[in-house]
Amino acid sequence: MNHEKKIPLIRLAKRDGMESWKVWCIRAASILFALLLGALVMALAGANPVTAYGTMISGALGKKSAIRQTVKIAVPLLGCALAIAPCFKMRFWNIGAEGQITAGAVAASYFALFWADRLPSPVLLAVMGIAGAAAGGLWALIPAFFKAKWNTNETLFTLMMNYIIIGVVRWLQGGPWEGRKGSQIIPQFDEAACLPRVLGVHCGWIIVLVLVIFMHVYMNHTKHGYEIAVIGDSINTARYAGMNVGRVMMRTMFLSGAISGIVGFIVASGANNTLYDGVAGGVGFTSITVAWLSQLNAFAMVGISGLLAVLSKGAETLQTRMAVPTSISDIITGILLFCMLGCEFFINYRLIFRGAGRKEAQHG
Amino acid sequence: MKKFLALLLSMILALSLAACGGDSGGDSKPADESTPADTQQPADSGSEPAEGKTVKVGLICIGDENDQGYTYNFIRGKEAATEALAAKGITVDWVTKWNIGEDSGCEDANIELADEGCDLIINNSFGFEPFMLKVAPDYPEIEFISCTNQASWGDNLENTHNAFANIYEGRYLAGVVAGMKLQQMIDEGTISADQAVIGYVGAFSFAEVVSGFTAYFLGARSVCPSVTMKVQFVGSWSDATEEANAASALADMGCVMISQHSDNTTPATTAQSKGVFHTGYNNDMISVAPEASLIGTRINWAPYFEYAIESVANGESFDQDWCHGMDMDAVVMTDLNEAIAAPGTAEKLAEVEAKIRSGELQVFDTSTFTIKGAKLETAFALDTDGDFTPDSEEAVFDGAFHESHFQSAPYFNLPIDGIERLNEDFG
Repeated sequence: MNHEKKIPLIRLAKRDGMESWKVWCIRAASILFALLLGALVMALAGANPVTAYGTMISGALGKKSAIRQTVKIAVPLLGCALAIAPCFKMRFWNIGAEGQITAGAVAASYFALFWADRLPSPVLLAVMGIAGAAAGGLWALIPAFFKAKWNTNETLFTLMMNYIIIGVVRWLQGGPWEGRKGSQIIPQFDEAACLPRVLGVHCGWIIVLVLVIFMHVYMNHTKHGYEIAVIGDSINTARYAGMNVGRVMMRTMFLSGAISGIVGFIVASGANNTLYDGVAGGVGFTSITVAWLSQLNAFAMVGISGLLAVLSKGAETLQTRMAVPTSISDIITGILLFCMLGCEFFINYRLIFRGAGRKEAQHG
Repeated sequence: MKKFLALLLSMILALSLAACGGDSGGDSKPADESTPADTQQPADSGSEPAEGKTVKVGLICIGDENDQGYTYNFIRGKEAATEALAAKGITVDWVTKWNIGEDSGCEDANIELADEGCDLIINNSFGFEPFMLKVAPDYPEIEFISCTNQASWGDNLENTHNAFANIYEGRYLAGVVAGMKLQQMIDEGTISADQAVIGYVGAFSFAEVVSGFTAYFLGARSVCPSVTMKVQFVGSWSDATEEANAASALADMGCVMISQHSDNTTPATTAQSKGVFHTGYNNDMISVAPEASLIGTRINWAPYFEYAIESVANGESFDQDWCHGMDMDAVVMTDLNEAIAAPGTAEKLAEVEAKIRSGELQVFDTSTFTIKGAKLETAFALDTDGDFTPDSEEAVFDGAFHESHFQSAPYFNLPIDGIERLNEDFG
């Protein structure tokens, strides 16, 4: 009896090798559970949950123009998730994608604002993309360099870098790049500096889809990808195998930052046609969720970023048609993400209740 | 394995039960009642839909009505216009988007409202216009309005509109109230003549702000000749803490009267705690600072909304660039705080207001101010080549600078003598 009291009510045990159909059952159940919780929230807010979910879906996918907007929201999420995937695979916690996107957007905007009349449009766009990639890459390289040289904390470092570049944009907006005096607004780009539209959406979607393939190949079928995976599993193993860990870190961060920088270029040139301090708009953080939910699988990211975009666009329509505050939809999105990430816990661990444990012991 | 299946099944059962519960909970509320509060209002007020004209109007707001300032003022206009139109048999079906950013999200909001079937879409913030202009060409049958902005006279689009109000008239009157108070303090010996200093909390050194504080200063000087003014820019349209800090710093520098062109009420409360006086903007601030706030002025959007919506309802075209002031009650003064205002203020206000209405008094009368000691002889109003420096349309004629004459958005952006700008960083 005494002994039993010491056993906690619930114990956790690691489990591996769960059959995949079970895994998917748990995941489906978690989504279902999240939707039900969300329905509760909507009912509390005074909306009929069934109509509300219907409105969200039709608002995001019901019309051509709605689908275009949804795709526009998904593009930066997908691009940025692709960017941070190699870092996370390496267990290098890059939460500075926000800043890397902004850095890329700044560099691209420089050419958009001051070179638009000197270069033909395709060349200008290419230059903007390359400049964006270089700036984003360099912005990411700084923390990677410090980590490689002096083992600084990359989480704090990358986070702090965000505030610096966003401050730079604020200064540009109110200072040298400002349009009408006092407006704090940088003028709209010349048409030559705007990404052309393909099927009604700026062609950034094509760029990110190409990046999906690139990232899949890079992570799974190249030496670089292998090195990243080894470092992620164990730095010591990597060292023992003769890898230059610092170099791989810097290289990977540069690549990650460069892709974020391209995302910044896409957002500034394709979506906003201008630069402002909210150009990254939280994408750098949301995409961390996208990357984790996809378990760093490039193809899964397409689906997950699409799902988030549907929720986000649906939330707008929900507000338009049913006057449900967008914050309610944010809550629902939050619940959904929490449940989807949380269910991985039940896939990786087993709960053992006190009573059940004894029974099992008796059996044994 | 069996245990797992059992668990899964029981969970599904529980969830589906909950689902039914949730649904019936939702159903018990009639679906019709969950329609937005916005659409209910016109339905209520227009209880006798006589002619039954309905206009669906989209309103895109940078904030929400909780700001008690900028957006709240639009909502007030919206409600008043709805009521006035209901009396004319026009029902307005409002669809309002809150907290939209000045980025491609604004473009999406315009598309969404257009797709929802709005006949008229109103964008309430300056930075919305470029994004609105990307949507407007695709929906020629829908009218688009960008309040406080200025592109429609030159964008070659039939369906875009700008609107503003001659808020400088209200500023001038608020300045008169402030000047009367300062003169009273001088006459009573509370302060000396050169201690009559106004502190002004401005958002940015933007024409709209410059025009406002210059009008305010000229109003004050018309009744208190020794007054001077210090302007502190805070670099934000709405930052309650910074506005309070700026007001506090100005009071510490010896300013005995605080006014503001920013969205929050904190300059008023700060003025009260520092024992100085205040005049407000956007909203009546007497309730938050009864011992400091003398009066406020605000744009009344109702006349414009009523005019625009009625035109759309009747299928008529309406002005692409609308700007009126006290003549159409587009600018109104909030209640005068009689308890602390100088005696005779109400009479003086009525007198000056009548002169402005009749056109007898020009706010920017060039005989009342100098720039670097010289009288203003010439100044351009409009920027036509896109370099953001006015280059055409002479604004100075008939002895006055004509503000908001060539376009609705203010363009008076000149540094006049007597006003000291403490910082210029935000230009």
